Order: sequence, then structure tokens, then C-alpha cells
Amino acid sequence: MHELVEFAVEKAQELGASYAEARFEEKNGTEVVMKNGNPEGLGILADRGIGIRVLVDGGMGFSSTNLLTKESVFDAVKRAVKLAKAASKVRNKPIQFSEESFHEVFYEVRMRKDFRDVGAEEKMEYLKRIEESVLGSGITVPMRFLSYRDFMWHKIFMNNEGAMIESIIPRVSITYNLVVLEEGQMEQAPFVQRAFSGGLELIEKDEPWERALNDVKALRRLIKEGKKPPEGKVDIVISPEVAGIAVHESVGHPYELDRIMGREAAQAGESFVKPEMLGERIGSEAVTVIEDPTIPNSWGFYLYDDEGVKARPRYLIREGIISEFLMNREYAAYLGMKSNASARAINYNREPIVRMANTYLAPGDHTFEELVEDIKLGVYMVSFNEWNIDDRRYQQRYIGREAYLIENGEIKHPVRKPILEITTKGLWSSVDAVGKEIEMFPGTCGKGEPGQGVPVWMGGAPARLRDVVLRR
Amino acid sequence: MFEINKLILKKAKELGFGDVVVLSHEESRRQVRFANNEITVAKNWHSRKVELFAEYEKRIGSTTLMTFDEGTIEKTLKALLASVKSLAPKEDYYGIAEGPFKYRDIPETFDRKIVELDEPNEYVESAINAALEEGAKRVAGVLYTDHNKLYLSTSNGVEASDEGTGIEISVRAFIGDEESGHGTSSSRVLSKFDPENAGRKAGEIAKLAVSPIQGEAGTFDVIFDPLAFANLMSYMSFMASAFAVEAGFSFLVGKLGQRIAHEGVTIKDIGNMPNAYGTRKFDDEGVPTRETTIIENGELRTYLLNTSMAKKYKTETTANAGLIMPRAWNIYVEPGNHSKEELFSEVKHGVYITNVWYTRFQNYVKGDFSTIPRDGAFLIKNGEIERPIRNIRVSDNMQHILENIVALGKELYQIHWWEVDPPVFTPYVLVRDVGITKATK
Repeated sequence: MHELVEFAVEKAQELGASYAEARFEEKNGTEVVMKNGNPEGLGILADRGIGIRVLVDGGMGFSSTNLLTKESVFDAVKRAVKLAKAASKVRNKPIQFSEESFHEVFYEVRMRKDFRDVGAEEKMEYLKRIEESVLGSGITVPMRFLSYRDFMWHKIFMNNEGAMIESIIPRVSITYNLVVLEEGQMEQAPFVQRAFSGGLELIEKDEPWERALNDVKALRRLIKEGKKPPEGKVDIVISPEVAGIAVHESVGHPYELDRIMGREAAQAGESFVKPEMLGERIGSEAVTVIEDPTIPNSWGFYLYDDEGVKARPRYLIREGIISEFLMNREYAAYLGMKSNASARAINYNREPIVRMANTYLAPGDHTFEELVEDIKLGVYMVSFNEWNIDDRRYQQRYIGREAYLIENGEIKHPVRKPILEITTKGLWSSVDAVGKEIEMFPGTCGKGEPGQGVPVWMGGAPARLRDVVLRR
Repeated sequence: MFEINKLILKKAKELGFGDVVVLSHEESRRQVRFANNEITVAKNWHSRKVELFAEYEKRIGSTTLMTFDEGTIEKTLKALLASVKSLAPKEDYYGIAEGPFKYRDIPETFDRKIVELDEPNEYVESAINAALEEGAKRVAGVLYTDHNKLYLSTSNGVEASDEGTGIEISVRAFIGDEESGHGTSSSRVLSKFDPENAGRKAGEIAKLAVSPIQGEAGTFDVIFDPLAFANLMSYMSFMASAFAVEAGFSFLVGKLGQRIAHEGVTIKDIGNMPNAYGTRKFDDEGVPTRETTIIENGELRTYLLNTSMAKKYKTETTANAGLIMPRAWNIYVEPGNHSKEELFSEVKHGVYITNVWYTRFQNYVKGDFSTIPRDGAFLIKNGEIERPIRNIRVSDNMQHILENIVALGKELYQIHWWEVDPPVFTPYVLVRDVGITKATK
């Protein structure tokens, strides 16, 4: 396959591309689904192809094919070059890429328990364990949707500037939706996911069946003991899960430089952040947000991005100050900077664009007890269901699923649907303390057109927000 | 591609599979993306793939083939069989449709002019220019052209093919950071494609939206632009699938035969609608697509079904297979009798929302959700747009919204873009007492 990838890059140059890259991707895996106790089916994932991206006269063209012959790849190269040429005529300025140093690298993530050696039946057993754990609780859970998925993700990337990056990364995940019905009321834990880069040992260590049991217990308790949350100005402690969605939505996304500069304006939108805001304060000194693709076994893991640039941790916010954007080569060049390896593509048939990987609120120095102990009246938000944010990433809302009243430093009864609806600056300026312990949660981040749902982790430490308005 | 389909069917039968469905696709798609009035990237995709669904004694397997030599086909089928055999049966599986069927050509689903179109950039420029003429400063968006061929063969006697084209554009125009408008145009034939109008609408709304003030929280009568209402309908269409109902992703669970919307509301799925982006001659098991009334005069009539689920519920398929998950083709909101002006004149004090995004549910089974207006949003006073507002959120419940639809426009618009799929045909819609919230710090 290396030969075909190299062939594409060479042909593109021959046809006049000043920049050319080709990326072969292959995904092989298994999915099993269980709905309300019935095995819905088994899917075998088998997908592969080549994507070619070129710059010609400052215009960008992209083309892909899943017919892996020289003839078909050459056709794809010709199409990419032709499209780029035509696009260059509708540009004000030619596209340029930042200067980078490139490597020839092979890397892979090894599995201790290799999912390719395990049959579908055993994979279905994981779902059965969730099923048994939930049904064995004595709680009525009339709707149960469970799915298991694994795949090997093999990539070969080359460009005409000397990059040759080959990677093999296994990914494994379990997702569930559970609806609890007690006392005529339904509460729900939808799309809960556990996900890793690695083998089955990671799922087994994580024990999603225990998490599912805790979820349905919490939902039953919410139905039986849940009360209205306090309203008005209170203190809120957000868990790593809620901190995770907040850093993803209101720090990660608005710091994507392609979005800041308008490339996603008609889809995911623009950003309240502007290039000149580097160095400005956006949160309290307690707030540091890190974006790090290199965390071992993480759902967002990679060591080289899909432009062949070596990955490293990025400090988006350092002690409350905006300190770095997420950049690919094209957008780094606009600011005269270097890429920080944020270019990701979800498959061979997608262009690499600026993405997050693993975003988290860096730990502080408080124990969880210290975060809670001096709160007179507040809420501890453990998990959320509904969330959203405007397309400039400034007005967000998170509604608690599992949440508890805090009164005089103690965690009390569950509260129903506490609503935190707040601006980005309001949120991060309200943080006065951050916990010591980190936890990460998987998600599929949506961006791009056609859509590219990329695997990410988000999380971090719990945090205390002072004097924020809570609604119900 | 039928030769490959036949070979796969034959091999699958030899191995002992029961129901087998082979759906081959050949797709050519082109995209031109633009932002800041210039093209950011142009793309082309060419792919051939075969989707395979196979049943062995009520055990279901599926996969996709990318290479079609006999060796690969045999290897794939054997691997699938070995895996499927190890599973427990799906007790509520009742088979696939019994063919053959007769298919009719559907008007305005194929246009050779789109296949032969060499260079679509002029349409992009015409949309950008129309928006700029209206006063926009920055224009962004995407244009697609599509040419697809489908070949379906099943173990129950179905052999069917379809060929379709399409061209569409989505345009967003900006004046300042918070002053924008959006327009779209989707068509299966070139003569009805109107990129200029899409750009003009985006520009007009952006211009109207200049200097917005912070919107207030409360309960308002809301006029949803087709773009905004289509977003809610695309979520509803997913929730109308019997699969979503069973899996706990739908507020429609347990409500068949019940009143769930205002009596003036009728919502359909029309799989065989001319010039609609989701139209196909047949569903994934070969049943000819048709018109299915989901909500009739406010009453929930049916979920969207395939043959197996229809048999489980002792009824007929609605021709919406998806063999695992039935899905809508084109959602159609029956128009009312109001002109746009008459609709606005019904509102004393309300809000006009031109677009929304990021619709998310707190509880799918209850239907509690919120969604965020983007692009122009406006205060309406005594039937007139008073001034633009910003930074609000629609926080409500799906059924409550449906029950409070009090008037519908008489003109339909096809909406299909990044936020709305499947396509939705909807008029302007007036909903009473919609919850609006805003950020508090």
C-alpha cells in the first residue's frame, strides 16, 4: 500500500501541485448491539481507501476513492488537481502552509487482550453483563439499548515534504441508553459511553456494568427522593464529567483557529475568540485547560496528526489567560506560527481539519471535601443530559441528570434538573477552586462538512463555581 | 453491479444463510466549500460499495464490501456466518419483504445535466454575490452535486435499481459577528436549483439582524422560519422510527392513536416525492416507497416500520427499511392557509426565529429539549418585526410545541443542510407559548 500512497503524491506533483499529500486508511472491526435483551445484530466493519489533498496555484482540492488500483488513484489525483485549480480562481489570497519538520515514523498501540482474538459471542457477553447487572438491581428499566464496538485503525500518510507516518491504533467502546421507570416516572441515562484506544483489558478494568448499575440506582433515587433545586445565586461544584463538557464546548471549540477565522462559519459557526485575544484573561487564576492528544490509551489518542506533524500537549488556558489556539498548517501560517498538530480526519474520504483530541481542566490543589466544606447552599452536578452552546461558543447550558443539594458543607438529597445557563466568561471567571483528582469521559466531537465525528476525551478535575445563578 | 449482487446471494445461500439483502451503491459526489467570499476547498468522492444484510436462524449480521472478487466475497460471508452463529437469536425478527415488486419512475429525481456539469463554481459565485448585494460582508457555505446508482437484490425475489442526481447549496451571510442570515436551495434537477435565492435570503436576514439587543426570557408566541422548524422535524423523524421508540429515544412511545399535536397538524413521510432530496424508488428491502401519514389532524397514526417490525406489531410495513432501523425519507409538514404576512399578523408580541442549531434532549422519552437560535432572531410587535434580538434559547418540550402549533403558512420549502437530514418540507409555523431562556451571568 505504501507504493500506492507514494504514487499518488508523485503524480500530484507531476500534474502541478505545489503541495501534495495522500492518506491510506483502513478500518476493520466488529459491532454488536442488544436492545431490550434481544441481540439486534452483528456488524463487521471493513472500510478502506485513499484520500488525496493538493494545493495548486493556492487553491485546495481533495479527492478520494475506495478502488485501490493505480488507475483509480491516478483518476482521483487528477480530480483533486483539477478542483484545486478551479478553486484557486475564486480566492482572494493563495492558501499557504506553515513550515514544519517531518519524520518517517511507525507507531502502534498494543493490546493486552486483543479483540481480534475474541469471538462475537464473548463481545456480546459484555452487553449481557450490563443487562444482568441492571435487571438484577430490582429497578424497573423497560428500555435498554446497549452496543459494543471495536476497530483497528490503520493509516499511512505521506506528503511531498518528507513525511511518512504509519500508525495502527485499536479502539474499543461500549455505549448504553437506560430508561428507568419507577412510580410512573421515567428518567434516563442516554448515550453513556466508555471508550479507549487499546484492547479489551481496558473495558474489563473499567467495568461499564458497574457504572450502568450506579446510573440506574441514581435515577431511581432521583425519582423517589429528588426535590427541586435551589434557585438564584448559589455555589456549584461541577464533577469531572461536567467540567469535561464545559472545557470541550467553551474552551476547545472556540480556540480552533479555522473556526475563529471563519472557515466553518456556515456549519459549526465562528467564535467569540479573536486572534488578538491571545494573552487576554478569560477565567480565574484557578483555571488551566490542557489539550493533549498523547495521553496513552485515551479515546482521542494520536502521536502525529493527519498532516504528519508531531503532537504535543497544548495549553489553551494557562491560569486564566488564553495562551494557545488549536491549529493546523493552513491556519498557523495565517498567524505566522507553526502547527500544533491539530489536523484530524475521521476517514480516508475526509479532509483533515482542526480538531480537539483530549481536553481537560487541569487539576488544582483541593480535595473534594475542601471544595464542598464551606458551601452554605449549592448544588453538586455529577452528570448532565441536555447541553448546548451557541455557534460563537459563548452562551452555554448544562442540565444535571444526577445532582445533589449541598447545604452547610454537606451533600444532601438529589435535585431534579438543575439548569446552569451561563456565558463562557461568566463560567470560567466564577471558578475559585479546582480539585486534585482527574477523570476523563469519551465523546464524539462533531464538526466539518460532510460531518466528521472524531473520538475525543473530555474531563479533568472537579471545580467550584461561586455565586452563579441556578435555574430550575 | 447486479452480477456481483447475484454472486453474493448465491454464495450466501450455499453457506446456509436465510434472508439475504444485497444493496450496492455507486456514488459520485462533488463539494465546493466557501468562506469569507472565497473557496476554501473543492472535493470529489467516488466510491463503490456493497452493503450486505444476512440472517441465519434469526441471527442478524451485516457488513460492507469494498472489493468484489469471489475470494473476498466468500471469505467475508464465512467470517460473518461464523460470528453470527455464535449469537443468541433475535426473538423479535420476522423476516424481510416478499418480492418481487413493481416500481414506478418518480419524476424529477434524475437530471443528466447535473451528471454532465463540469464546473459548478459559477453557482457558488452567484450565491455569494446575491448575499453581498443585500449588504452582507462575509459569505460562507457549501455546494454539492450528487450522482448515485443503487442496485438491490434480495433472497425474496427483489431485483431493483435506481439512479438519482441532486444539487444543493447552503449559504450563510454575515455583516458583523452576531448579524447573520442563512438560506438553502436543494433540487434533484438543475432547472429548479436556485443558489441566488439562497444567497439573497441569507443576505436579507443578515441585514435585518443588524444591531441586535439581548433577548428576554419568558413565554412567547414564536414564528419558526422553515429553516428553524425543519430542524425540530428532523429530530422528530428519528423519534418516529419504531427502533427509536423501542430503544428509549422517543417521546412518541406508547402514544399511538393519541392526540399529540394540534388538530391542524398533519405530518407525513413521503419516500416517493418528486424533486425531494431523500426520494428513492424502494426501501432497503425493496418495498416501493410511499406516502405515510405519521400524524393526522393531530393524532399519532403510525411509527415508521420495516417488514419485520410491522409483523411484530401486526401491521403493514411503511416502506421505511433500514433493516435494523427504519428511517424517514422526506418529512412533509402539511401546509396551512396563511400567507407569511397573515401569519405575522396573528402575533401581537412574539419572536421570529430564522434558524436553530444544537438541539439536545434532557429526556428523550419525555421530549424535554432546548435548541439555540442562530442567525437573525426578531421581536415581533403587532404583526411587525420590531427589532433584532440575540442570545436566546428555545427551552421547551416536543409534544408541547406540536400541540401549540396554531397556524401554518401555505407555501412549502424544502430544507436539507448540515443541521437537517432527512430533508424536511415545511411552511412557516406559528407556535403559541414557547419557552425562551437566556444566560444568566
